[in-house]
Amino acid sequence: MISDSWLKARFRLDALILKYKLKSIPRSVINPERLIEYQQSLLSQFSKSINEAQLMAIDLEMTGLNPTEDQIISMGIVPITQAGIPLQQAQHLMISIDGSVGSSATIHGIVDNQLENALSLEQAVLWFLEHTKGHILVAHHAPMDVSFLLNYIEKVFGFRMLMPFIDTLGIEKKRYLRQHGQLIKGCVRLGESRERYHLPVYAGHNALLDAIACAELLLAQVAAMGGGHQMKCYELIETIK
Amino acid sequence: MDVQTLTYIIVGATFALYIGIAIWSRAGSTKEFYVAGGGVPPVMNGMATAADWMSAASFISLAGIVSFVGYDGSVYLMGWTGGYVLLALCMAPYLRKFGKFTVPDFIGDRYYSQTARTVAVICAIFICFTYIAGQMRGVGVVFSRFLEVEVDTGVYIGMCVVFFYAVLGGMKGITYTQVAQYCVLIFAFMVPAIFISVMMTGHIFPQIGFGAELIDAAGNGTGVYLLDKLDGLSAELGFSQYTEGSKSMIDVFFITGALMFGTAGLPHVIVRFFTVPKVKDARLSAGWALVFIAIMYTTVPALAAFSRVNMIETINGPESTGVAYETAPQWIKNWEKTGLITWDDKNNDGNIYYAKGEENEMKIDRDIMVLATPEIADLPAWVIALVAAGGLAAALSTSAGLLLVISTSVSHDLLKKNLMPDISDKEELKYARIAAALGVVMAGYFGINPPGFVAAVVAIAFGLAAASLFPAIIMGIFSKTVNKEGAIAGMLTGLTFTAAYIIYFKFVNPSANVSDNWFLGISPEGFGMVGMFINFAVAFAVSKVTAAVPQDVVDMVESIRFPQGAGEAQDH
Amino acid sequence: MNASELQPIEQFLQTHAPFDALPDDVISRCAREITIGYYAKASAFVEFDPINPKLYLVRSGAFEVRDPQGVLVDRVAEGECFGFSTLLSGEKVVNKVAILEDGLIYHLPHTLFSELRSHHRQFDTFFTRAFAQRLRNEHKFKAKDHTTTSRITNMMAHQPVSIEKHANVCEAAKLMRDNRVSSVLVLDNNQLVGIVTDRDLRNRVLAEGIGGEAVVESVMTKHPQSIAPNALVFEAMLLMSEHNIHHLPVVENNQARGMVTSTDILRSQSSQPLLLIGEIDRQDSIEKLIHVSKQIPVLLQNLISADARAEEIGRILTSVTDALTRRLIVLNQQLLGKAPMAFCWLAFGSQGRQDQVACSDQDNGLLLAEEPDEFAAAYFDKLSHAVCKGLDLCGYIYCPGEIMAQNPKWRMPLKKWQNKFSQWVSAPDPKALMHASIFFDMRAVYGPHSLFDELQSTVLDQTKDNDIFLAGMTANALQQTPPLGFFRKFVLERDGSEVKGMDLKHKGSALINDIGRIYALSAGIKEVNTAKRIRLLMDANIINRKDALNLADAHEFIAHMRLANQGYQANNNLTVSNYLMPQHLSSLLRHQLRDAFKVVHDAQSGLKLKFMRSF
Repeated sequence: MISDSWLKARFRLDALILKYKLKSIPRSVINPERLIEYQQSLLSQFSKSINEAQLMAIDLEMTGLNPTEDQIISMGIVPITQAGIPLQQAQHLMISIDGSVGSSATIHGIVDNQLENALSLEQAVLWFLEHTKGHILVAHHAPMDVSFLLNYIEKVFGFRMLMPFIDTLGIEKKRYLRQHGQLIKGCVRLGESRERYHLPVYAGHNALLDAIACAELLLAQVAAMGGGHQMKCYELIETIK
Repeated sequence: MDVQTLTYIIVGATFALYIGIAIWSRAGSTKEFYVAGGGVPPVMNGMATAADWMSAASFISLAGIVSFVGYDGSVYLMGWTGGYVLLALCMAPYLRKFGKFTVPDFIGDRYYSQTARTVAVICAIFICFTYIAGQMRGVGVVFSRFLEVEVDTGVYIGMCVVFFYAVLGGMKGITYTQVAQYCVLIFAFMVPAIFISVMMTGHIFPQIGFGAELIDAAGNGTGVYLLDKLDGLSAELGFSQYTEGSKSMIDVFFITGALMFGTAGLPHVIVRFFTVPKVKDARLSAGWALVFIAIMYTTVPALAAFSRVNMIETINGPESTGVAYETAPQWIKNWEKTGLITWDDKNNDGNIYYAKGEENEMKIDRDIMVLATPEIADLPAWVIALVAAGGLAAALSTSAGLLLVISTSVSHDLLKKNLMPDISDKEELKYARIAAALGVVMAGYFGINPPGFVAAVVAIAFGLAAASLFPAIIMGIFSKTVNKEGAIAGMLTGLTFTAAYIIYFKFVNPSANVSDNWFLGISPEGFGMVGMFINFAVAFAVSKVTAAVPQDVVDMVESIRFPQGAGEAQDH
Repeated sequence: MNASELQPIEQFLQTHAPFDALPDDVISRCAREITIGYYAKASAFVEFDPINPKLYLVRSGAFEVRDPQGVLVDRVAEGECFGFSTLLSGEKVVNKVAILEDGLIYHLPHTLFSELRSHHRQFDTFFTRAFAQRLRNEHKFKAKDHTTTSRITNMMAHQPVSIEKHANVCEAAKLMRDNRVSSVLVLDNNQLVGIVTDRDLRNRVLAEGIGGEAVVESVMTKHPQSIAPNALVFEAMLLMSEHNIHHLPVVENNQARGMVTSTDILRSQSSQPLLLIGEIDRQDSIEKLIHVSKQIPVLLQNLISADARAEEIGRILTSVTDALTRRLIVLNQQLLGKAPMAFCWLAFGSQGRQDQVACSDQDNGLLLAEEPDEFAAAYFDKLSHAVCKGLDLCGYIYCPGEIMAQNPKWRMPLKKWQNKFSQWVSAPDPKALMHASIFFDMRAVYGPHSLFDELQSTVLDQTKDNDIFLAGMTANALQQTPPLGFFRKFVLERDGSEVKGMDLKHKGSALINDIGRIYALSAGIKEVNTAKRIRLLMDANIINRKDALNLADAHEFIAHMRLANQGYQANNNLTVSNYLMPQHLSSLLRHQLRDAFKVVHDAQSGLKLKFMRSF
């Protein structure tokens, strides 16, 4: 585990690098300052307890598993605050893609014509930044989702940044290993993990539902680890750039 | 304004009156009024009783039947009046002393048997059904004429009105509503009678006009007495003389008896005597009721005779040869629409003609007589409308009472006390309403497919009552030896014999319904009295051979035969 | 965002009551308004947010609702709800919810809950029913906690020590020693016939020099005083002090069920009404009695604030009145000398029914054993005037209708009382019926029971199955109807322009008293307390079980509302009356009151059908 101050220091450093880079890149239509603002807004959450922190469960549906080649089709987000998941603030976003959804459509049930009203890549990134600002991202197998997001950000802004996140799969892996000694294939998948916490099986599969499912899993995990009162945010946070 | 509009207005106004009274009597203030006044005054209660008593049959059909069959029709008058006296004087005081609200309850307790109670309940329901069927037909006739529809449609409309009145309305059973209904019906009955009496004889009272000489248009006496004129007309047209009966003496005697004893056994009227708290007041109101009933019953023969003369004269014309259909009076055309008058021009002369036998071209339903009289006599339109309201009042007050007896007997006596003792109040009430609905529907069916005229149907009900309930009540009060086996056997045999006799002659083999085939020359209408004798005989015979009456019941019977309660003797 | 995205949640709502009654668009709205929470067994209890109360719908897991004393109120599993009591009543959460199994809970905000209740009837009914059910459970518990309102069953020794009547004294003594008890019940064919106590062994065996081989039957106290298991504890105390005994067998259907001793009762701490009654019995002058009676209103307030059942409050207050009356009679007899003949002091109306409340007036009469001569007449005149005056001074004001023992009209020998009643029965005019509603609820407060029983049994003989009298009674009872108008709206009474509210006594409790009385008279039941009448009528299958339970509930509820309202009026310096303003009630109470009135209305319809043969 990384400590709170060490984490913050890393982000400050990253911010400095970003600001330096900003001078070298040409001013585009989109103000790159907002990326720094976004990053800064997250810092205050690190030292809060899980219950008090602003978290945002997120799930992406992609055309494939390779962050550099494949595209995001849809994105579901739902905040986690005060150990609760307010569905009122849940959001589901479609993103337009180049080419067809292809074979992956069978998994997430999104057919091309549903994407007609979808946002463009650039709009989607701005939407994401706006709606998740000040929230630490939570996802199951988060490194992949965050990599996709960082790639998109790079496409829009021209550079990447350091992103904090909480990975429920990572947490589950550690807990499972501690209890059982070794991992079994598929044992930390979202569905299997949820079962261990008596969470209901959700029929259906879309980015929003998976985001909700992931948020519930986090609440269960935190409760099982002694509750969100004592546990601090930074104890769970990982980073990626 | 035309008759139809006026009818709507007057019928509507009477209903508004009933509803108004119902609302007024429900308002909280009446309680103080009621306590302060010591209850309903006997005069009012008398009127309410009279309204219960005088059904659509009395109002609509009685005068019609007297008018058509003359002297023979008087059996109804005698029977009903006698029955009322019997009920008021010989039975009600004892039943009251016994503390029983309904006839089946009395029979059940007196014969210490649930079976006896159930048999009595079934008899009561059966009688009420028959009686109410007569009411339906009457209401149907009223509606058919004034809404100018077929008589069957009139019955359907009547069914709806009666059902809503009895099941949903809060108007029924309220003394003052009944008083209003009596006022409406007696006014409606008397106004045309007085009008015609004045026109034909110059006397205001129809009862006097009935025995007076006729006057001409200028108001001078003609020297011809009404009944003589009627006898003459009847003879001329081939009818038997109006003042002489066609029925044998024994038949008349038995019909009168059956009506009388049957009336006394009718379950719905007796209740009225118990709603008066004091015995003295109950007697007074019974007396008043007799006066109010008499007002109408004494008018019936007069009205019947007037309308008969009028009718024959308007149809056959001054020369007694008939008048041309084109020039026929409007009332014939009006009533043709209901199907209650039909004209068959047998000799193709284009004239209408009324007589007995082959020459007759007119078929006239007796039930229209009272309703058509104002039209025949060319009375003002509002009188015609008033008669419609009166007929409706008569039918409503009686059928509401009967439907209550049927529905509460079914729900409480049959279901709650016998078949389903566990049902809740709500369910009991639901079954009562369903029973009332079924009662209306069945009565409506018999109203459309009548086995006879209204009065005849009602007479059957009386016959059945005379054969079943009346003996059981009388023996219950006056005999200490008749036991439960006797009473049950008596009621069942009496009812079965009478019903079988009536059903055979009226439904199974109507063509054989002539005096030659009758038992001792007694018609089905009069057989109820024979049933009564059978009932008595069977009851006494069976009681002789079965266990004696328990001592406590004997004591009970002895105690109720004292005319007054011990407590009361000290107080008054 | 389209609806189907939250489909699993919507589906869950659609398949669970009461949400299954909601239309689809409302379901999607609900799903959107949900906040999901997770509760782990490790945290033991669900924490409630006092500022934003919510409805808790269990998605998975299992929970238990327990009241502050730890008694189980409800068990909640998947698809069931908790937290609605607070939402309905607006009171703070007192119950605890234990987490039996980790689970997911959907929280619905208060605003949404209220909105759904006001727009969807079935949704509303579902929760008010559930709440009423809970209240009933809680009431059962509360009675246990309160000494004055607790029942014998809760404190008696079950399986009492007993012996056959033919056993000898020695065996009885051994049995008592072995079981370490101070008394033994004597049975004959399992029926209680007597009791032998330590005192009996001392006084009737040892002191008389009788040997240990004597049969128990010969030394026992025959036909001992006994008490029913559901009687109140303080009634047992009354009985003990009245007869100066320390052991009371508990008897049900002639079978000995248990035993209560004065020690048992002492152990369950003394309480206020008993102290008051004890105090009354100790006073030796009328002036002192008047002084003691000042405590009665305080007692009532205490009972109301302790939330005792209205029925029990009535019985307690009536016991106090009875004690006061008896004491007044005894004290005055000390002044006037011994009575020239046996007599009963009769209580009518609310005192007879044992449902007295604040500011009751007196309704009483005197039943004499025989026709009094001049001397006796003068004696009873003085006695009754003195007692009635005493009661008046103690706060039981003179009856405005002059129904009092001091009125010579209501001071009669047995024969005349019997005649009076048979007059009312045989000629039920409105005045007689008005009297009937007061006089038929009679109870002897003082005097030999045999005399009173003779009167009561002749009266009941006459009313039983007397349909005409009962029809009159019914017609009279139906003159008043519960204050519900069309569409079940409350009907408020007005005095000129001033709105007085709903009369809970004359248009509520009194109607149920009437119903109970008519049925009881029709069946010849001796009991006069309305709640007991209803219970007996239910047991005798005269009133349908469901109807009877509903009616008893409605009776208690309306009486409770009336008392609570009077408590509120007294606390807020308003005139204490029977009038209730519905806007002072929460919507749940309004709803329940409406239901209670509906029950009364239905019972009246049933009465009309049965006794008047009309509807």
